[in-house]
Amino acid sequence: MSTGAGRIAWARRRRAAGKLWRDFADSRSGLVGLAALLGIVLIALLAPLWISADDLSVIKATGGILTPPSGEFWLGTDHAGRSVLDLTVYGARVSLLVGIAAAVLSVGIGTIVGMLSGHFGRWVSAVLMRVTDFFLVLPALVLAIALSTMLERGLSTIILAIGVTSWPSTARLVRAQTLTIEARPYIERAQALGGGHPHILLRHVLPAVLPLVLANTTLAVGSAIISESTLAFLGLGDPSKVSWGLMLKQALDTGSVTAGAWWYLLPPGIAIVAVVLSFTLCGRALEIVVNPNLKAGRR
Amino acid sequence: MVDMLTTTEPVAELPGGERAAGRVRALGTARFVAVKIGGGLVSLLLVVVLGFFLFRALPGNPIRSITTDSHTSIEQIEKLRAEWGMDEPLPGQFVEYLGDLLRWDLGTSFKYKQPVGDLILGRIGPTLLLTGAALLLALVLGLWLGTRAAWRHGSRFDRLATGTSLVLWSVPTFWLGLIALMVFAVALDLFPTAGMTTPGGVDGFLPAVLDVAHHLVLPAVTLTAVTYAQYLMVMRSSLLEEMNADYLTTARAKGLTDDQVRRRHAVPNALLPTVTIIFLHTGLLVSGAVTVETVFSWPGLGLLTYNAIGFPDYPLLQGTMIVLAGAVVVMNVLADLVYRLLDPRVRAA
Amino acid sequence: MSLLEFRDVSVSYAGARTGVPAVRGVSLRLDSGEKLGLAGESGCGKSTLAMSVLRLLPRSATVSGQILLDGEDVGAMSWGRLRAVRWASTSVVFQGAMHALNPVRKVGEQIAEPLVIHHSGPQSAPALRARVNELLGQVELPAAKADAYPHELSGGQKQRVMIAMALACRPRLIIADEPTTALDVIVQAQVLEVLTRLVTEHHLGLIMISHDLAVLAATCDRLAIMYRGEIVEEGDSRTLIRDPQHPHTKALAAAFPTVGDPIYRYAPATLTSPTPQQPAPTPIWGGGRVRGQFTADPRQQDPDPAGHPQVAEVSTAPLLRVDNLRVTFHGRHREITHAVAGVSLDVHEGEIVALVGQSGSGKTTLARTILGLQKPTAGQVIFAGEPIPTTSRGLRAYRRQVQLVLQDPTSALNPRHTVYEAVAEGLRIHRLAGDEHERVAEALRNAELRPPEEFMPVLPQELSGGQRQRVVIAGALALEPRLLVADEPVASLDASVRGEILALLLRLRARLDLAALVITHDLGLAWNIADRVAVMYRGALVEVGPVDDVLANPRHGYTRSLLAALPDSGTVNVQ
Repeated sequence: MSTGAGRIAWARRRRAAGKLWRDFADSRSGLVGLAALLGIVLIALLAPLWISADDLSVIKATGGILTPPSGEFWLGTDHAGRSVLDLTVYGARVSLLVGIAAAVLSVGIGTIVGMLSGHFGRWVSAVLMRVTDFFLVLPALVLAIALSTMLERGLSTIILAIGVTSWPSTARLVRAQTLTIEARPYIERAQALGGGHPHILLRHVLPAVLPLVLANTTLAVGSAIISESTLAFLGLGDPSKVSWGLMLKQALDTGSVTAGAWWYLLPPGIAIVAVVLSFTLCGRALEIVVNPNLKAGRR
Repeated sequence: MVDMLTTTEPVAELPGGERAAGRVRALGTARFVAVKIGGGLVSLLLVVVLGFFLFRALPGNPIRSITTDSHTSIEQIEKLRAEWGMDEPLPGQFVEYLGDLLRWDLGTSFKYKQPVGDLILGRIGPTLLLTGAALLLALVLGLWLGTRAAWRHGSRFDRLATGTSLVLWSVPTFWLGLIALMVFAVALDLFPTAGMTTPGGVDGFLPAVLDVAHHLVLPAVTLTAVTYAQYLMVMRSSLLEEMNADYLTTARAKGLTDDQVRRRHAVPNALLPTVTIIFLHTGLLVSGAVTVETVFSWPGLGLLTYNAIGFPDYPLLQGTMIVLAGAVVVMNVLADLVYRLLDPRVRAA
Repeated sequence: MSLLEFRDVSVSYAGARTGVPAVRGVSLRLDSGEKLGLAGESGCGKSTLAMSVLRLLPRSATVSGQILLDGEDVGAMSWGRLRAVRWASTSVVFQGAMHALNPVRKVGEQIAEPLVIHHSGPQSAPALRARVNELLGQVELPAAKADAYPHELSGGQKQRVMIAMALACRPRLIIADEPTTALDVIVQAQVLEVLTRLVTEHHLGLIMISHDLAVLAATCDRLAIMYRGEIVEEGDSRTLIRDPQHPHTKALAAAFPTVGDPIYRYAPATLTSPTPQQPAPTPIWGGGRVRGQFTADPRQQDPDPAGHPQVAEVSTAPLLRVDNLRVTFHGRHREITHAVAGVSLDVHEGEIVALVGQSGSGKTTLARTILGLQKPTAGQVIFAGEPIPTTSRGLRAYRRQVQLVLQDPTSALNPRHTVYEAVAEGLRIHRLAGDEHERVAEALRNAELRPPEEFMPVLPQELSGGQRQRVVIAGALALEPRLLVADEPVASLDASVRGEILALLLRLRARLDLAALVITHDLGLAWNIADRVAVMYRGALVEVGPVDDVLANPRHGYTRSLLAALPDSGTVNVQ
């Protein structure tokens, strides 16, 4: 292949990426979400620099039990005397890790199922859609509960439980997009040029669904984080890893709610809302870039 | 030549053709109902298979490879293994499991030492009450606010409604419940903190009903808050999709007021996809109910599930999973059938 | 006082990229009972102008000037007054084949709705029903259709419902916006007949909007031609068609050739004539479209740009032979559709054959089967003496020989691929040896996109419709095929570029000896470029023969009805 051809293709991709960014930057809420996300990720990555294992240990805690915010403990202490601020900052690590990993798993499954069922008609599509609709309808949380009770406790179980129960909506979305693309005459043109299944799936369908998948992943991270905290709250998380859901479970279990210890209850919850909202804002901004039809309505 | 010109329009115009079309439609309805019910039965079977697979066939599952756990004794597990016939080959186990299910024999709970089937039957009522109340409230609120937001999109009302929904969408249900509990039940003491009735009971029918309603407020409002936000967004976007439709221009050209255009033409069209999506996601409502019941100790299936997790009470977990999933499947078949009555396009297809 | 008067009306849209108003300084008058046709290509502002009468434009539109309806300024009306005027004094016939009818309400209710809104006539349920039935009768639909939903009606029936609805409140003016677009020739003729009859009977004013000058000429007394937001020419229909003054009118008029007129035989009219010696139109980046010189009159054309029409020698074996081909589809309710019911057809080397039929006649299925995109139920397709292969490898090789050109170039090109990638796609699929860059350049040159280097890095949406179709053709030419199957190659292009693409096909035949099977609903196209014509009706070929014979002396009733359905100005009595 001549270098000229490669240059044209790369120039086109660079232009497309530039346009994606410019369109995204048009959305103020999207930029706010992105900035917040970058900040939170940075804090999560750097947390071990000033928070040691001792700070998180129940035995080596230095503070009093359930003390309100003070100069020493800005957000007060928990039932074991640990700093709520430290716990909240450290909890971001598990939430982000599980959220992102589960979202990637879920969107990955959904994309493959959606593309295959959209591309191959007849029984392949019928079977895949039957399965998709079945899982779409089921209460994902109940399924995830069953799955995580039956597997060994740990982050990987949580990731798996969320990932394999939340893919159907992505599959439907990708399938719909695949069908739209495949109905376009340029697919027929590609067939008439002699292109087979791999050519059509990889050269035409995949690039066309990719932006949608990206937007979908961003949105999926948000709901995966909520699922993670819910599972942890129900007692299905990894009890040895600090997470926001676990903090809230312990708050309820140790009677902090009835004791009115708002400083123990608010920070993890607000942290979840902040992260999920940031992902959602980013995802929606991306969605509008990907699907300009939405623009009219969502500004 | 004339006969040719009239036959170029594909829809039959002969009276016989009309009658034949009617017959095809009636046949189509029977077929549609049969297909939907058949699909529902297949889904129910899948739920049953899933229950079997998750609890008995999964490799590395604690019942298959006995492990010690805090509450479950090895003894109990051994008993369960014997009861479920875990030493037999899988196909034999499955047949036996199916037979048990058909006889509503879901095993004995570890924790409550009672038949799982009876436990579940006793808890269905409260769950129905909670989810029903929340669904109704969320539907009314979501559809109404969603319509208003879409019709005046870009307005301050729209921005407020959408913003609130986005925040509520990002809030974990259980946390919202905890906050509500702390503020309204503990700090302000306006509502009870737990349960469905006042311990000890109240005398008289009306006071008893009011007592339950008093207990219902916080859990139902929490569940509504999370669900209505989703319904609002769905309604808003499907109405926005309809807003550029040509038939709305036709309606305006006819001299209808803005309000008439919305009520008579735009909303009925937008409502159909919205209702489908809402019923397709009944599972979300059930998932929400599990956490809300946990927070408010509402004595429904969700709380039962939560209590089973801690133990872990495998027969009970299997039972609640099958019942909750099965209920959602049945709901969806019903929604599909109702939808057919509403949308003429589906009726003809 | 005239029924409707535009006084120096301009309309501009906020946020429009060009900043040029959609309508610029239009002044027009329409008296009651008069029929005015408004013609122009897509985007010329004709629909905007029409919708401004009832203030139906989106909020982003700003209207200046005055629109007087019965002497009353529409712009100054209160909302209540405006609503009272809408439909009761002026109604609109929208393009009903699309979504102008509410999909979830019965058409009877929709027809009755304006009666109720405007308290027109008695309001009791039986009286309303009777009025709806009467209206349906006027558009020649059975009363039972009132209980049908829009999706249960055919395109023509929906359009009739739209007309019935427009007449409901006995308005004095009807605005018809592309009322027959997307309908078949014959259905189009029927709908036009109903519309003109009713307008004449009730002595209504009519403004009819279309891109099709022939349709307007057949219906309207007066024509106004719009071009880029302005009225460039206005006058009596017959005079205007016979003796167009403005170059744009000439181009529009010439795009609908007179079947039977030898001037148009093998001579599609072109606006720009990009003969190989001339530079091709420059691609447009963002800015306005560059248009070449207007040389529209076919009489001034190079008389023989296409090489001599070749009458294929019957003795040689045909390049493509379709032998008693059948394609049958099974519907969901076990109904059987014979899309292609026993078709036999030959295409010889270097020959252009036009396959003419209405939509639903099976012509597209036939094309797909010839390309191996659809399996035949019976019969076979023989190419260069051999049946087309069924293995995927064999089919791939076969598709180098036979290439497809689709109707709508906008959707036939992946919007994410540059022109270079689109043209090179086939080369990459077939892993052809040689310099890819040089082959792409050659294909672009053959499709008269010059200089090719300028077009290569451009995305399809930055090109004009005609240029896009050239890219599609270049993509096909890159594989050096021997036969081109073109499915309605100009149906979605503006009238003025139609001729350019047709002329290109003729020149390609002359230069590359490329045979073509052109599928079309347009008899004029066959007259313009084809050697032979095959008329398809309900899956079968009812008439096949040389164009001059078949169109001059149609033997089959269907061919005759197709010719008769052409709007009056388009046909010349050839006998």
